[in-house]
Amino acid sequence: MQTTKTPPRILGLYDVPMWTFLEQDRQLRLQCCTDCGTWRYPPGPACPDCLSPDSDWKPVSGQGEVVSWVMFHKEYLPEYPAPYNVVAVRLDEGPILISNLIEDPAENVIGKRVKLVPVEMDDGVVLPRFELESA
Amino acid sequence: MKRTAAVIGVGHSDWVGDWHRVRAGERPGDSYHYGATAFRAAIKDAGIKREDIDGLIVGPTTAYERMAEVLHMDVRWGDQADAVLSVLQAVQAIETGAADVVALVYGNDQRSAGIQYGGPQAMGGDLFLSYVYHAPWGMTSQGALYAMTFRAYADRYGISERDLGHVAVAQRQGAARNPNAIQRKEITLDDYMAARYITEPLRLFDYCLINDGGVALIIAEAGIARKLSDNPVWIESTGRFDLNRNATSLEPRLTDFYRPAQQAVAEQVFGTSGLDPSDIDVFQVYDSFSVHIPLALEGYGYCGVGEAGKFMSEQGIGLGGKLPTNTSGGHLSETYMQGWAHQIECVRQLRGECGERQVEGTKRVHYSSDVAGKAVSIIYGRD
Ligand SMILES: [Zn+2]
Repeated sequence: MQTTKTPPRILGLYDVPMWTFLEQDRQLRLQCCTDCGTWRYPPGPACPDCLSPDSDWKPVSGQGEVVSWVMFHKEYLPEYPAPYNVVAVRLDEGPILISNLIEDPAENVIGKRVKLVPVEMDDGVVLPRFELESA
Repeated sequence: MKRTAAVIGVGHSDWVGDWHRVRAGERPGDSYHYGATAFRAAIKDAGIKREDIDGLIVGPTTAYERMAEVLHMDVRWGDQADAVLSVLQAVQAIETGAADVVALVYGNDQRSAGIQYGGPQAMGGDLFLSYVYHAPWGMTSQGALYAMTFRAYADRYGISERDLGHVAVAQRQGAARNPNAIQRKEITLDDYMAARYITEPLRLFDYCLINDGGVALIIAEAGIARKLSDNPVWIESTGRFDLNRNATSLEPRLTDFYRPAQQAVAEQVFGTSGLDPSDIDVFQVYDSFSVHIPLALEGYGYCGVGEAGKFMSEQGIGLGGKLPTNTSGGHLSETYMQGWAHQIECVRQLRGECGERQVEGTKRVHYSSDVAGKAVSIIYGRD
């Protein structure tokens, strides 16, 4: 999995803290509703459950399960030469993250447990990726 | 059935000829040119004059005012929408009396203008965050979203990649019998399996074409339609349901495969029309990728949940099959007009104008679209 440059991120008003926390303390923090505890991803202005505007940036466990995965055989982004994998992981906290497995899957990985690995790219961005939990 | 409005004219550009011209390095025209070309053909087909039209909807790829200016049309009602919503909005405008005869005009120079549907400039990212949000992890291609959907679906229900190949094979069968189709060489399941992966598990033939073209339709109020047309194609019923929760994280695609939206729409289109799936002679499905078809077959009740692979291989979705689907070749083989050309195929199957690919005795055609979880359906019928 490449670690050179990161393709452009969406950095809207609510997105920046997640990336800053990743760079500062190598930890994925997501918004968690102050009023009802519902997790929020992608970051946004209101709780999807109770519509509260208030949230705390709390660390997630980094534990999750693979929901689906693909292998790119065509290059769409110069930063990502093919082949490479993309994976959808449901965090134990609830939200689904689109990310990469550090090692390309050798077989179907749906349902497999994974844990988060912060990967520092050459351009300084810290990207949350995953690895299979050792059997 | 309500039958408040009918399609009385259809037209399109010569996308086959333009495909060859664009590949030879020419630029036959811009999006407005393709729209105007289709519009000229549609009013001729309807046998009406431009002055008979009092409503206009243009597709999302052109500016409303500029298209109206190019067509030199002042109207009392207008809007901008995608293919399927244009039809719904035209019907609503007619039912509320806002307009009596509505022209729907779409033009797109996506091929010659080099529009990107994957990569850093992915089209649609301003509308659907999921198309661009995951770029840091290399995930921007819309096809890859469907590859991910299919992997989860296959894991859940055991459909094979070869089963999915029936979509591309069946649609190419129709395209081979359609002089307006761009890709007309028939393929076999072996050809399908031998093609390269683009984003695994999807292969080359699972992906739509990218080409230039234009489509136009004329929709008229029922009384006017009967006066103007010998063979009006009725809009029997319409339905819509959108799944937006957790859309950026792809959850509605990956966990329920959009099925709840399609089931809600099925209740609307079949419930209000007194029809059910067994009354449908031809199925037309928005197919930016082949994966749309098995999901729609299940979502609308043409087969049981998890049985689309079996349905396609045993009952058949090609010509002569149980449910001929995307008989023109669809986006995969005929032309990628973002759902617009599918409306024309609905009309032509009902008018009996489809020549070698005609499904004899077609009385009802169901069109389904589920782009980014916005499930919409139309049932077209004839007298
Ligand atoms: Zn809340």
